[in-house]
Amino acid sequence: MADITVTIGKHTFQNPVFAASGTFGYGLENPDLVDISAFGAIVTKSITRQPREGNPPPRIVETPSGMINSIGLSNIGVDKYVSDMAPKYADIGCPVIMNIAGSSEDEYCEIVEITESVNSNIIGYEVNISCPNVKHGGIEFGVNAELTESLTSKIRKRTGKLVIMKLSPNVTDIRSIAKAAEAGGADALSAINTVYGMSINPHTKKSEIYTTYGGLSGPAIKPVGLACVHKVSLAVDVPVIGIGGITSGKDAVEYILAGASAIQVGTANYRDPATGISILDDLKRYLAEQNIATVAEMIGMVETYES
Amino acid sequence: MKVIENTVVKSNTEIASGIWELVADSPKICSEYRGPGQFVSILPIDGWQHPLRRPMSIAAVKKSSLTIIYKIFGDVTSEFSKLQKGDNLNMLGPIGNTFSGWDDSGYDPVLVGGGVGLAPILNLKNTCADNGIAVAVIIGARRGAEHFMDHDPDNGLWLTTDDGSLGAAGTVMPTLEDVIASLPNPRLFACGPEPMLEAVRDFSIAKGIPAELSVESYMACGIELCQGCVIAKPNGQDKKNSYHERYSLVCADGPIYEAKDISFG
Ligand SMILES: Cc1cc2nc3c(=O)[nH]c(=O)nc-3n(C[C@H](O)[C@H](O)[C@H](O)COP(=O)(O)O)c2cc1C
Repeated sequence: MADITVTIGKHTFQNPVFAASGTFGYGLENPDLVDISAFGAIVTKSITRQPREGNPPPRIVETPSGMINSIGLSNIGVDKYVSDMAPKYADIGCPVIMNIAGSSEDEYCEIVEITESVNSNIIGYEVNISCPNVKHGGIEFGVNAELTESLTSKIRKRTGKLVIMKLSPNVTDIRSIAKAAEAGGADALSAINTVYGMSINPHTKKSEIYTTYGGLSGPAIKPVGLACVHKVSLAVDVPVIGIGGITSGKDAVEYILAGASAIQVGTANYRDPATGISILDDLKRYLAEQNIATVAEMIGMVETYES
Repeated sequence: MKVIENTVVKSNTEIASGIWELVADSPKICSEYRGPGQFVSILPIDGWQHPLRRPMSIAAVKKSSLTIIYKIFGDVTSEFSKLQKGDNLNMLGPIGNTFSGWDDSGYDPVLVGGGVGLAPILNLKNTCADNGIAVAVIIGARRGAEHFMDHDPDNGLWLTTDDGSLGAAGTVMPTLEDVIASLPNPRLFACGPEPMLEAVRDFSIAKGIPAELSVESYMACGIELCQGCVIAKPNGQDKKNSYHERYSLVCADGPIYEAKDISFG
């Protein structure tokens, strides 16, 4: 059987299929529907310094082959995360990556300090600098290379655990942000967060999302994600985690060929939180059919016309 | 416990203009079913063109058969209407809480339904009948062709139409007021379009009559993952630093709420 383990920073994962932030809750909501121990890792909903209600409804709308959301980082806050969730992660059989978001460097740093001061049972942080739905939820960092580097290095100083910076596609040049995160000391980069989008109801003439713009996700953004992952993986040496519209083993293979060391499943979890497991089965079948011995040797092996 | 089940269609028929009834064999979901008010979330059958499941109230459960009633709204429901006996339909459920207090002998249940909000009301009506509980039922529609029952006030069933083509003309509200007048201890149960629920809510609060509303919310997952299906709680000022105090998650806390516990718009 092919070797499907992947290494990111100093951590080796049993497989490259992760669950994406905001699409898998805190990993504990649906034990009857999905065996989370099958995943390479799960990434939590974004955690902020204080709990957040999130945005007024409507928060979601379906669009062709996708959906737009503007949840507004509704979450329990780091104190409750540390007291209620972290202890439960001790024996769930799956590495947990804590996704964090903030409106200032201090907020991000405090979240990390609070988490580092306890037995958090997480293996690392995914830092959301790319949420398009709140005015001060990190995107101001994600669109600015200097701020990205400074924030990354401050988080880096506060933890020996994995630091993964989550990039936004809503930028002029994703490579410059990726390089800044790498320079700041990130172990890995994940891409992409959602793409700015809007939806209008022609009958009521109303915007279908309370905040007017929201984040587009699902199969509709797969080509955007693939291009971002390909560009970023050529620009940096650290591993890239591919996200955006992944629903099948074939999608996962495309992301890995584009340069991803691992992938995250997002919107597809809403149809079935066990989608990641069928993606993993597909991936194993593909490797067997293609006589590929390791996932690692497939990373970034796409053939392009120009090089 | 919620399950994802590949159900098998047993029948799928148009029961009124644009309104369909689908019966599916779904032993797993049926064995987890707890009562009227619960819903299932149905996977569209056109691949990933439409990524999100469609929440639909359970209209009946008999042994391993589950019934839903749906209105043709767009591409997804129009595809559903083409399903034939023996076809598969993927459902997630049962989701949500149930109507309560209808079996309390101190109350006179009054059921109000309209549009797609018919299914849970019919379910409650039939469940009450099975338990020998007398109820008054008021069903609203835009026009007569959208009704599939008979206007039969003598047997506790009132139909209303916006255009007056069947039953009482107008919304369900004037009929509701009439019906309530003769009942010592009414308790309202309502499901339907938001303007109707809002009217029932305001009426019940003004009259001090207890009411349970089944709300329909846009929903991406139905399993507490997306945080998308929220409804506002009343007096929900813009509190800082709270979680699920201003907004309630319909898939986790609903779809049935006491009228006083939610606000619209
Ligand atoms: C409803 C919803 C909520 C999300 N919440 C978060 C979040 O809290 N933090 C975050 O970093 N990404 C969040 N995301 C973005 C996803 O993690 C992912 O980057 C994006 O949806 C693209 O992947 P997909 O097409 O597979 O969904 C959210 C996405 C959706 C659809």
